[in-house]
Amino acid sequence: MNGSFRQSMAWLHTWSGLLVGWVLLAMFLTGTATYFRPEITRWMEPETGMPADYHIAAAGAAAYLSKVAPDAKSWSITLPDERQATASVFWQPQPKPGEEERPRRRGRNRDTQATLDAATGDVVKPRETRGGEFFYRFHFQMHYLPVIWGRWFAGLCAMFMLVAIVSGVITHKRIFKDFFTFRPTKAAQRSWLDAHNMTAVLALPFHAMITYTGLVTLMALYMPWGVLANYSSDDAYFKAVFPRAEEIERSGVAAPLAPLPKVIDEASKAWGGGRPWIINVSNPGDATARIEVTRHSGDKLSYRGGSLTFDASGKLLTRSPEAGPANVTGGAMYGIHMGRFAEPVLRWVYFLCSLAGCAMVATGLVLWSVSRRQKLPDPERPHFGFRLVEKLNIGTIAGVPAGMAAMLWANRLLPVEMASRSPWEVHSMFILWGGMILYACLRPNKKAWMETLGLAAFMVAALPIVSAVTTPERNIFANAMRGDGAMVAFDLTLVALGALLAFCGWKAARYKPVAKPKRKAPAPTVATEAA
Amino acid sequence: MSVAQTAPPPAAKRKGPKGPTLRQRLDVAARAVAAIVVGYVFASLSTAVLARLLPGGTEEATIAATLLSFAVYTAVVIWAFADPKTWRVWLGLAGGSAALAAILWISLIVEPRL
Repeated sequence: MNGSFRQSMAWLHTWSGLLVGWVLLAMFLTGTATYFRPEITRWMEPETGMPADYHIAAAGAAAYLSKVAPDAKSWSITLPDERQATASVFWQPQPKPGEEERPRRRGRNRDTQATLDAATGDVVKPRETRGGEFFYRFHFQMHYLPVIWGRWFAGLCAMFMLVAIVSGVITHKRIFKDFFTFRPTKAAQRSWLDAHNMTAVLALPFHAMITYTGLVTLMALYMPWGVLANYSSDDAYFKAVFPRAEEIERSGVAAPLAPLPKVIDEASKAWGGGRPWIINVSNPGDATARIEVTRHSGDKLSYRGGSLTFDASGKLLTRSPEAGPANVTGGAMYGIHMGRFAEPVLRWVYFLCSLAGCAMVATGLVLWSVSRRQKLPDPERPHFGFRLVEKLNIGTIAGVPAGMAAMLWANRLLPVEMASRSPWEVHSMFILWGGMILYACLRPNKKAWMETLGLAAFMVAALPIVSAVTTPERNIFANAMRGDGAMVAFDLTLVALGALLAFCGWKAARYKPVAKPKRKAPAPTVATEAA
Repeated sequence: MSVAQTAPPPAAKRKGPKGPTLRQRLDVAARAVAAIVVGYVFASLSTAVLARLLPGGTEEATIAATLLSFAVYTAVVIWAFADPKTWRVWLGLAGGSAALAAILWISLIVEPRL
């Protein structure tokens, strides 16, 4: 571009950040929430109990499946860990003669799946909800779009983010000094700049890591060309990287299945103390049965913990092959993104860094409009594009958190028996988000900021009360009495996040634009600061 | 962040309050297409070539090349906007892609895919 390297990078940073900034903010916010995906699911399924030892669920699942699907082709059991209150099971019935065998699809067919209580192993029927799973899915595949399109779009946005991060660092030559600079009382633009710098630089390694590893999680989709250069099909590659045992025909000789709690203890011993996650049983009840135990994805940094295969009597047959260094690196990048290995303290660090990422995107968007307004030909009458940015900023920065809260409100307020209940929970998020954008268009900016942020703060902070009224067994005192620390922390976190939004609204109410349109001398510029 | 806007560089000062000229717009468009589309082609080809040429076995080389691909793509995008000359960006990316395609082609003839 015309101008110096740093100037062209500043330009690139500005525009790559702005163009998809609103989508990035939604991705960042829902991704941040996803660090507490099991807790959100537990909150949204108040019919479920508390996490418990996974042995109970393993025994309960085996008992349940041998009752409802004794001659299934296969069973799959996802065990609860110390954060989940339910196990999920599904089974693949024997294909009927003449019936084409369909590829198995998780959780699609309600007739062949069930949710079991972690503490009792019995079937539970929580209200129909997507729980924390929705935020997780949305943050990389959007909604109302075919899944593949959504993933490509999320990938495109992630690339914009990566370019914005790299060009931002190049632009920023005082990166160390700015780390300690915050001038809240200086000119508004400068303090927005400081806030943007601080949230960006403070957690810069996190932002770079999370963006790159996010792309890595879907690299087979985004960048299939390395695979296609070496393998004639995707299948050939996946067979090489994730070898699967050959399917064995049922022998017809009945044989009891080894008790699953015992099998997972064997597995745990073989791993030197690892936790089990998924148990797949093929040909249950037959002498040819195979029990595959997959290790918990949070046991190691690498997301792929490997698996062990046992025969019907519970004897260890094979273990998944050791992965090579590049494969382990890939698995670790996946694992670092997911953060499932993180113990509570580290999990909170993840959450806070990720919130800083949200703040970085949000302050960046605001900074664009604040600094741009001063250079408009007529700042009182900005052109359409500029107004659009301002309105989208308001409607999204306040609208996404409010929309996420709306989904939790809907979870408690929609009738439990309502048809297509969980889709409506999701719709309520987008209705409120869209409504906030429309509302922002109808109000003067300052009022719109105050009112939308105020509503968002209320919607988030009032959730513990909504929950306590609609599901009294889940009020904060009942949770505390039960010793359910995670749900107590959940309610307190909602109040804290509500307070944070209220603080933003209060700042917006006190905000005075610095650049008076009539003013001749321009405010001290960033360039002179940097020089 | 918005250094270029808060302190217009001498080159940008020529543009009046009306905003960028048609030439500047076309330049940005040409660079954006080069960066996003041709850059993706270049990153894809470099991934394919690295996947075939890196040591350590087919599977490992494939994964290593794919893990690196986003860094290559990012570097290309940065360069596409950093180079003072737009034609050089196009020439470099098109020429580089052609060279990578040739290497890939020869490599596929020498040793077919699995």
